[in-house]
Amino acid sequence: MIQLINGLVYGSFLYLLSVGLVLIFGLRRVTNFAHGGMFMLGAYIAYAVSLYFGFWSGMLVSVIGLAILGVILDRFVFRPLAHENEIVTLLVTFGLLFVIEDLVRTVWGKDYITVPPPPILSGVIPMFGATFPVYRLFVIAVAMIVAATLALWLRSSRVGLYVRASSTDPVTTGMQGVDTDRLSALVVAIGTGLAGLSGTIAGPLLALQPSMGGFVIIDCFIVVVTGGLTSFTGVFIAAMLIGQVHNLGIVFVPELASMIPLLIMALVLTLRPQGLAGAGK
Amino acid sequence: MTVAAPPTSATTTTARRSGSLPALAFVISALLLGAAIPVVVSSQLMLTLATQAVISAILATAIGFMIRQNGLTSFGHAAFFGLAAYTIALNGKFGLLPTEVAVILAIVIPSILAFVAGLGIVRLPALAFSMLTLAVAQGFHEIFLRWRELANGDDGMSVKLPSKLFGLDIGLFQQASSMFVICWIALVLVIFCLWTIARSHFGLLTVAIRENEERARYIGYETVMPRAVIYAISAAVGALAGVLFVLYNTFITPGALHWSLSGEALVMAVIGGTRYVWGPALGSVIFFLLKDAAGDVTEHWPAIIGILLIVVTVMLPNGVSGVLIALANKLKARAQ
Repeated sequence: MIQLINGLVYGSFLYLLSVGLVLIFGLRRVTNFAHGGMFMLGAYIAYAVSLYFGFWSGMLVSVIGLAILGVILDRFVFRPLAHENEIVTLLVTFGLLFVIEDLVRTVWGKDYITVPPPPILSGVIPMFGATFPVYRLFVIAVAMIVAATLALWLRSSRVGLYVRASSTDPVTTGMQGVDTDRLSALVVAIGTGLAGLSGTIAGPLLALQPSMGGFVIIDCFIVVVTGGLTSFTGVFIAAMLIGQVHNLGIVFVPELASMIPLLIMALVLTLRPQGLAGAGK
Repeated sequence: MTVAAPPTSATTTTARRSGSLPALAFVISALLLGAAIPVVVSSQLMLTLATQAVISAILATAIGFMIRQNGLTSFGHAAFFGLAAYTIALNGKFGLLPTEVAVILAIVIPSILAFVAGLGIVRLPALAFSMLTLAVAQGFHEIFLRWRELANGDDGMSVKLPSKLFGLDIGLFQQASSMFVICWIALVLVIFCLWTIARSHFGLLTVAIRENEERARYIGYETVMPRAVIYAISAAVGALAGVLFVLYNTFITPGALHWSLSGEALVMAVIGGTRYVWGPALGSVIFFLLKDAAGDVTEHWPAIIGILLIVVTVMLPNGVSGVLIALANKLKARAQ
């Protein structure tokens, strides 16, 4: 039972990171390879700020900082490259990942850094005859709040409607008079802001290290491809599924754990090439 | 399902064969040039570096060929490289087969894996393909990292090799001066073979599929199989690089499967340019020369490579080889 909740924790964490990728992919049709780097940068920013001003300020600065970085990324990378082959943007963001990793290594060094959870969330509570860290429950709560807010925003607000329309067909949406460039800046900012949020959350959950971005992004790719690239529901289900099997895999077959999410993905793609909830082409 | 027979039009074959003689002369002079390098260069350090560069060049050539023929960018070629290397290493550990057989299997197994996987994944959108190759390669990396009983995890394992391999003294594979020549010959032959494939009917067909899969299908070609075959060929070349790597180093860690290795080779391919089969190899040479020249700032090597990758991707879509060919054509035009 505890293992299932642990899987839920990892799934929540994957969701927070992957949904940013889905948002950006929907608007810009690019895979942001630098997303892992931004996540890692967000984790370090949160850590640096939290040393002086506490965990919550760290979270705030990290989210806002990364969101600003997202606007810059959209304006100076995604927009000029919008008419290029999608692989060009992929390679450019891949290059950015190298640069960000080097930057972080230069500033903070490459040793592991551990971040304590904020006092209010430290400690454990009894659950199902065992104890469970409060902080891990907090991770689940954050993911659920983000998922609910995003769903509400996408379904009921005008901007949300534009975003969904753009994800389906950016050209037609543009023709209808929606300023897709401004919309995209907003959406990329939300996506990278969420990378900052998940980075902050990852601090007490995992240990900080410059290579953590490249490591986590791979699980996110599996989630995004399994979920169907543009579907917000799909990415949620896929994240929870992959989080669960990943965790169970580590508990029961640690040597082969890394292959199980891949097998799930292969299975999903064989049965439904468009992903769990992706729209058929 | 229609499997198209290659057309046997005599005119196209003769027209294309006209380029073969200069190419053969080129191959022979390239081989002689390579053989001359260890005679001229006496520095062991330089030779070691050059040998590594040539092995990387083979891996980069594999990735570049995949981009050139299939238009798909692999972020996981280290999987083939590392699996080949580990095949030989594990065979040495458990003493299952003669090393010669293991060397052949080390190239055949990754090719078969790529072919079977390719039947499914070459159909994916280009982006999903890139993400998938990365994820799969990283999956293999994790296995060799965590399964300590199998391959000693992160500490790596030294590779037991017999005293003679294919009738050659094993020392030849471990000295930079002789190994450089072996790797160089392999590289030149690989480029020649891939160049021949690229010019063949099959090579042109895959380029046609890359440009417009739907139309190629409407004309009546089977479009999945050729792309899977290209993926298998590319995997075989990547595996060959892994074999040479493990014979030379006689030590292996899961780093041989890590995504940064795939990434580095991909960067070489992009810098060199993939429009020409030899572009990625040139990219590898440039990569190693730059790394050597970077000297004091090698600490920031990743950032340099990242920026270089961005600049080349945006400014030189055909890479350095594309620029060179464009320059050569301009000079030729002026001479006439």
